Amino acid sequence: MIAHLAPHAPVGTAVTTGEADLWCTYAAVRTAAWLGRAGELPGSAATVDYLRSRRNSDGGYAWSKGMASDAWATFYCTQAMAELGAEIPKLGSTRDWLHRTWSGDAYAMLPGQAPDVWATHFSVRTMVELCHDDPPDRGRLLTWLRALQAPDGGLGWSPEHAATTASDVRACFYGVMSWRALRATDPDLALPWDGPALVRWMRDQQQAEGGFLFGPSADTSCMWATYRATAALETLGSGPAEKQRCVDWVLDRRLADGSFVRWAGYDVADVWASFCAIGSLRAMGADTERHAGPVLRRLHAMSCDGGGFTYREPDRAGDALSTAATAMMSAPEDPRQSQWRTWLAGCRLPNEGGIMYMPARGSEVRCTLWAVAAGAAGADPTAPREIANWLGELQNPDGGFGYWEGRGSDLVSTAAAVETLRLLGIPLSEALDPARLAEFVLGCRDVLGYRHVPEAPPTLRAGLQALRIRDELGQTTPGELAILLDQHRVTGGGFANEGSRMPDLLSTYEAVVTADRQRIPVDFSRLAVFLDRIGRPDGTAWTPLTPTGGGALADCLGVLLRDRIAGHRAELPALTLS
Amino acid sequence: MTVSSVPTLDSLRTRTRAVLAGLFGPEIDDLPADAPLPETLGDRYDSLGAMECVTAMEKEFGIEVDFVEHDVRYTFAQMDRIAEFVHAQLEDQAAFGGPR
Repeated sequence: MIAHLAPHAPVGTAVTTGEADLWCTYAAVRTAAWLGRAGELPGSAATVDYLRSRRNSDGGYAWSKGMASDAWATFYCTQAMAELGAEIPKLGSTRDWLHRTWSGDAYAMLPGQAPDVWATHFSVRTMVELCHDDPPDRGRLLTWLRALQAPDGGLGWSPEHAATTASDVRACFYGVMSWRALRATDPDLALPWDGPALVRWMRDQQQAEGGFLFGPSADTSCMWATYRATAALETLGSGPAEKQRCVDWVLDRRLADGSFVRWAGYDVADVWASFCAIGSLRAMGADTERHAGPVLRRLHAMSCDGGGFTYREPDRAGDALSTAATAMMSAPEDPRQSQWRTWLAGCRLPNEGGIMYMPARGSEVRCTLWAVAAGAAGADPTAPREIANWLGELQNPDGGFGYWEGRGSDLVSTAAAVETLRLLGIPLSEALDPARLAEFVLGCRDVLGYRHVPEAPPTLRAGLQALRIRDELGQTTPGELAILLDQHRVTGGGFANEGSRMPDLLSTYEAVVTADRQRIPVDFSRLAVFLDRIGRPDGTAWTPLTPTGGGALADCLGVLLRDRIAGHRAELPALTLS
Repeated sequence: MTVSSVPTLDSLRTRTRAVLAGLFGPEIDDLPADAPLPETLGDRYDSLGAMECVTAMEKEFGIEVDFVEHDVRYTFAQMDRIAEFVHAQLEDQAAFGGPR
């Protein structure tokens, strides 16, 4: 159980990029579309360009330009383009990419990852509603969906989660909406769960004041849980037991200008609160028209110059990664340090003890690592134990961690969780199940090396992450790291994630950190040549081919590496990103 | 191989144009040799597109590009620079031996 935190927006100072965020862009477009006002959004053509720029050559879409495709980003980009009336390019190759994420039973977020209900929901809907095709095996998918029901009646993130009765209204929503998408092409499709038990469990999450919890382990009603619950209940032909009380609770979450917030007492109206409030009111058949004006005005304020939207006014839309990166690359005596740390510490809001990428969103394991590395836990004495408890609850049944609750495991997130505990000084065995952790890491390994997810190609970074985790588990294998580094060392300088041709900053950073941990020397003169090659007038680039700087995160890694070469830092935090 | 066996710069320019046309389409045929590729091709010539270009040139000419030692971002920004780079690499190979 997470201690109750004051649910107000973080104070202190954040670093903003002014750039659009895909999550926010989808929420803004969808909200306007629900209100029948998508045509009134500012910069629609630029927003479509922004969405299209997330498309990779493999047919999937990525959260950020240059990142790997994933199912969620693919749904958000294609759905938002559809809502804006734009043509979705090459849907056939998107459908082919989705096939690569099919596990045999359900969909995973990435090819080779274990399936979860988040990914399954997004991919079933993309496949059925946008690609107008069917999942590869409807029968097996329904069997998998059926196995999501836990003994308490609710749905879990995966059949393995359901076996531990980790039900959550978000998982219920994603499961129910997957079934709804399948039913669109087969109106007689039976509900794969015990419907009355599912409805009963969801209704039980409504609190006396009217809003919903994520599940029994949450302590504060929120708009996100309320939307997921009301929309799932509506799809099942039901609704909250106390419907009017729920409508009133949603309406009470308005600020003076008529826009919505996510929690009682929260003081910033963000895009997700608007999305969830309008979604909840629609699901309960309440009037949304009278909220359209205030919500549209708020969405206008969140639009970015280059297209897309962020969660609040762009010049005030700080994020945890940029803020943590700026704090880490700045001098310790910089007077702004305490303000940045205070803001980061404030990104811990009710129900989840980790740090959010953007305040009022959801806790994420990588953001928690970067913020803790930047000293955020020092700004709040309750933080270390609550973060450790959150990580304990986040550990998946397979022993690994995903980016956030319920998402399939990967080595980046698993290494981030382990490093966070190391930085907090909390032994692994106090917070996690070390035996299951070791099982997941070994499950990502074969004779060719370690993989980001169990069935992906082997990479340097996955190997480095696995070896650091094994170090913390007391399973260091002498010589293994030296061989791995030799395989990926680039002659000119730096390290490559795949092969030994193209070095990149993130792989090089992780290589140096891991080599330091095992006291393996790195040729600093070649490292300096590599760092010089990725220097740009506007900062540090991610690779020698990238024309511009990569922003605060790349600058941070570049500064930390230069400090390491100069001997100003004896040890660097093991920061992971992808 | 001797230095005299290295193809002329003009022929390398022609082959470079053909390699790029294979990657990015017929618009390359009419592109001035000193046109900036990142600006002309836009998103198609981001770091992944440039990587594809480097790989294709390596395969075509049997050379090896070092992404740190060589100033790839400058060299691979224009067709004439690419051809000159390839010419220099082939001359080096002819004189000292190389990866071919």
